[in-house]
Amino acid sequence: MAASWRLGCDPRVLRYLLGSGGCRRLGLVRGASGWSFGRGASWRWLHSTQWLRVDPIKILMPSLSPTMEEGNIVKWLKKEGEAVSAGDALCEIETDKAVVTLDASDDGILAKIVVEEGSKNIRLGALIGLLVEEGEDWKHVEIPKDVGPPSPASKPSVPCPSPEPQISTPVKKEHIPGKLQFRLSPAARNILEKHSLDASQGTATGPRGIFTKEDALKLVQLKETGKITESRPTPAPLATPAVPLPPQAMATPPYTRPMIPPVSTPGQPNVVGTFTEIPASNIRRVIAKRLTESKSTVPHAYATTDCDLGAVLKARQSLVRDDIKVSVNDFIIKAAAVTLKQMPDVNVSWDGEGPKQLPFIDISVAVATDKGLITPIIKDAAAKGIREIADSVKALSKKARDGKLLPEEYQGGSFSISNLGMFGIDEFTAVINPPQACILAVGRFRPVLKLTRDEEGNAQLQRHQLITVTMSSDSRVVDDELATSFTTIGTSTGLKLGADLNTQSQKGLCWCLLPGIPRKQTTWYDSTLPTL
Amino acid sequence: MRKMLAAAISRVLSGVTQKPASRVLVASCNYSNDAMFAIKKCDLYRLEEGPPVTTVLTREDGLKYYRMMQTVRRMELKADQLYKQKFIRGFCHLCDGQEACSVGLEAGINPTDHVITSYRAHGLCYTRGLSVRSILAELTGRRGGCAKGKGGSMHMYVKNFYGGNGIVGAQGPLGAGIALACKYKGNKEVCLALYGDGAANQGQIAEAHNMAALWKLPCVFICENNLYGMGTPVERASASTDYYKRGNFIPGLRVDGMDVLGVREATKFVADYCRSGKGPIVMELQTYRYHGHSMSDPGISYRTREEVQNVRRESDPIMLLKDRMVNSKLATVEELKDIDVEVRKEVEDAAQFAMTDPEPPLEELAHHIYCNTPAFEVRGANQWIKFKSLS
Repeated sequence: MAASWRLGCDPRVLRYLLGSGGCRRLGLVRGASGWSFGRGASWRWLHSTQWLRVDPIKILMPSLSPTMEEGNIVKWLKKEGEAVSAGDALCEIETDKAVVTLDASDDGILAKIVVEEGSKNIRLGALIGLLVEEGEDWKHVEIPKDVGPPSPASKPSVPCPSPEPQISTPVKKEHIPGKLQFRLSPAARNILEKHSLDASQGTATGPRGIFTKEDALKLVQLKETGKITESRPTPAPLATPAVPLPPQAMATPPYTRPMIPPVSTPGQPNVVGTFTEIPASNIRRVIAKRLTESKSTVPHAYATTDCDLGAVLKARQSLVRDDIKVSVNDFIIKAAAVTLKQMPDVNVSWDGEGPKQLPFIDISVAVATDKGLITPIIKDAAAKGIREIADSVKALSKKARDGKLLPEEYQGGSFSISNLGMFGIDEFTAVINPPQACILAVGRFRPVLKLTRDEEGNAQLQRHQLITVTMSSDSRVVDDELATSFTTIGTSTGLKLGADLNTQSQKGLCWCLLPGIPRKQTTWYDSTLPTL
Repeated sequence: MRKMLAAAISRVLSGVTQKPASRVLVASCNYSNDAMFAIKKCDLYRLEEGPPVTTVLTREDGLKYYRMMQTVRRMELKADQLYKQKFIRGFCHLCDGQEACSVGLEAGINPTDHVITSYRAHGLCYTRGLSVRSILAELTGRRGGCAKGKGGSMHMYVKNFYGGNGIVGAQGPLGAGIALACKYKGNKEVCLALYGDGAANQGQIAEAHNMAALWKLPCVFICENNLYGMGTPVERASASTDYYKRGNFIPGLRVDGMDVLGVREATKFVADYCRSGKGPIVMELQTYRYHGHSMSDPGISYRTREEVQNVRRESDPIMLLKDRMVNSKLATVEELKDIDVEVRKEVEDAAQFAMTDPEPPLEELAHHIYCNTPAFEVRGANQWIKFKSLS
C-alpha cells in the first residue's frame, strides 16, 4: 500500500496504528470512514480538534489566608497566550490581609483571563482563568458554564443519614442558572447574597445575558424603596429541628463546604446558633482603641460642681434679640479657654515622663456623628470672641457630620468639652482623649429653687438655672488641687462672662462679638480679669 | 486512494502530536524491554562499599514508577487546590518534588517491611497502598477517608505504615521500636524510620540511634534532607550538614533523592544490610520540596522563586525518569502522556469523591477509642453528655 510505503513501515504496523485503542485512534478510524463519504466535510471534521481537546484547566479563586472569603485581583503577571510553567506566578491577589501571588501548578499556556485585573470582591472558588496544555489551541478555549465551586448537583451516593427535612443546599446560584438561562457576575452574586435577594426578581442586562452588578444594585434600590421584598434563595433555616440534634451537624448538608460552627451570612441573620456580626467602621475601631487605652492607662480623677448660669442665659437672650445666635456651649468654651489662659498649669499634656506645657489653647468640642464621636478643634479659643467661636463650632460640626474633617481639624487640642445637656443628661463623666489632660462634661440646665438673701437681708426663694459640670482630669499632670481651682475659677469666669456681657449689651458695646479682634486691643474680658 | 489515506493518517497524527512526529511514532513502536542506567555514586561513611553504580530498569517497572510518581504529584497539587478552596482545612504538608523518595523507597523494600515517617506523609501513604480516594477523602474529613475522616493529614495509616506523626522527630524512637519488634519476632523484616533535616537535630533521634546500634536493630534511619527545615536553611540550623554522618557510630550513605533509581538501589542495599543483622544504618536522601513547609507558607520568603524553578527545570524527578525512559526507548512520550491523562482523571475523580462524600456521622464521635473492646459509654464535654464508643 502506498500508505505503508509512505510511512515506511509494514501493513501490520499500520493496522496496529489504526486499530489500537485510545480515543485518538478510534477517531482516526472514524475519520477514515468519514472521509470516504464526503471529502470536504470530513477534512474539516478531521481538522477540527474537537475530539482531541482535553478540558482546559480551570484556575479558581484560591483562599490564600484562613479568613479569606473573597479577594481582588490586583494584576495579571502573565498574558493570554503566554507559556506558563509550574511554579510561575500567575497573578497577584489582594486578600483581606496582604497581596499574595498565585502560583501555577501546571505547565501550559494561559488561555483565557476570565476576570480582569482590578476586579474586586471575587468570591472564593470563582473561575478567574483557564490554562490549557502546550500544544492545545488556546484561542478557542470555551469558558465552562459552572463558574462556582463544585456543584452539589452530583448528589452523594450515600444518602444523608439525617431524618430531618433537608434544608435545600445553600446552592451557589450560578449552578442552577448555569443550567437554565442566565449567569451571575461574581460582584452581583455578592450583592444579592448580602441583601437576600434573588436574581430572578430582576432582569439581566449584561452581555450574553449575564446578571451584572448594576442589575443587582438596581434590585437593592428597589428593595430599599420597598417595592420588592427579600426573597432568600434558600428557605430560612429550620425553625425548630424536629429531632433535638445539635444544629451544626444537620444545618449544613454534608456535601457542601462544611461550616462548623455555623457562620452567619450577611442578609440571613439569626440562623440558629449564630450571631450577627456588625462590622465596625474604621472610626469606631479607632475610637474603641483610643478610649480603651485612655481609660486603662490614664488615672482619671473627677471634680464636679454646679454653675449658676442665670447671667449667661440672660446674655444669650439679649444676643438673640439682636439676631446673634450663640449657644450656652459657646459660653462654656470661652470660659474654659479663658481659665486655661489664667491657669497654664492645666493646659498641659503628659508626654510619657512628665507634664508638658502646651503653647496653644485649642479646645476640642465633642460632636456626635453616626459614624462615631469626633472632636473638632477650635483653635486659639481664648483669643476668639463668642460669636466667632459659635460660628466655628457650627461649621466644624457640619463638616464632622458630613465626614469631611481634615486631620488637622481634629488632631491635637489641649482641652476637650463634651456637652450632653441637649440629650437630657443631668451629669456624666467623660473619658479623657489622650494626650490631653482634662475633659469637661457638661450636663443640662435644671431650675433649682434656692434660699438666698436679697439686698435687705430677707430670705427669699430664687430660681436659679444650674448646670452640673464634671471635669475628668489626668491625675498625673493635673492633681486634685489644680482641678478644683480650675473648676471654681472656671465657674466664676462663666458668671463674669455672663455678667459682663449683660453690662456691655446694656451699654451698647459689644466688643466681644466683633470677630477677629487682635489680641493687642484690650478686650472687655481682659479688663475684668487679673492680667497675666 | 492510498495516498489520500496516508495523507489523512499523517494529518491526523500531526494533529495529535502537533509536530511531524509520525515517523517518531512509528519508529519507537519497538520498545526495548529494559535498559541499564548509571547512578551517581553515593558518599559513604563507615562503609566499605556502597550500592551499585549501575542498575537495570525494566519497561514495566519504569512505567510503574512513572505512574506512581505522577500520581503522587497530581495528588499533592490537587490537595493544594482543595486547600485553597477551603475543602481541606488545618494542616497540610505537601511533598511534591520528593516523589522519587517515596516511590524509590517502596521499590527497594517488600510490602511486609515497615515504614514510619513524619507529617509530610501523603506520598508514602500512596506508595504503601492507600488509594488516592481515601487519602483525599481523609484530607477533606469525609467518611470515605482512610481514618474515617477523623484523622486528617497527619493521621493516615495502613498496614505496615505507621503514619503520619505530628511531633517533629517523634517517629525516630517509634521506628526503632518497630525494628525491635521485627528483631524479636525474627521475621527478617526491616523498618524504615524517616525524618527531616530539621528533626535530625532532635535529641530523641540520637537516643534512637543509640538504642538501635546497641541492640543491632534492623532499623534504617532515613533523613529526607530537603534543604529547609520549615523556613531555616540547613546551614543555619545544623552544625554539621552531613546528615548521613550524624549517626556517629552508625554507618551511613548519602543518596541523590531526585533520582528514583538511585533511591531504589540504595534502599535495596540498606535493607539487605539490616536484614543481615549488621544493625542499623543511616541514609540521607538529598531532595527538594517545591511547595512551602505547609499550606500557610508561600515558600518563597526564605528562598527565591528562581531557585525553585531551577530545581524544577534541572532535577525534577518525574522529568528525569521520563527523559531516561524516552531516550533509551523504554517508552514513548505519547505513552507517558497517556499515563498523565489517566492519572489526572483518577485524581480528579478522587477529588470529586472527596468533595461530595458525607462527613462521618456525629454518633461515631467516640468510636474507636480502643480496639477489640465491648461497647461502653464515654463522657463528653460535661458529665451530662454521653457518647457511645464501639471498637
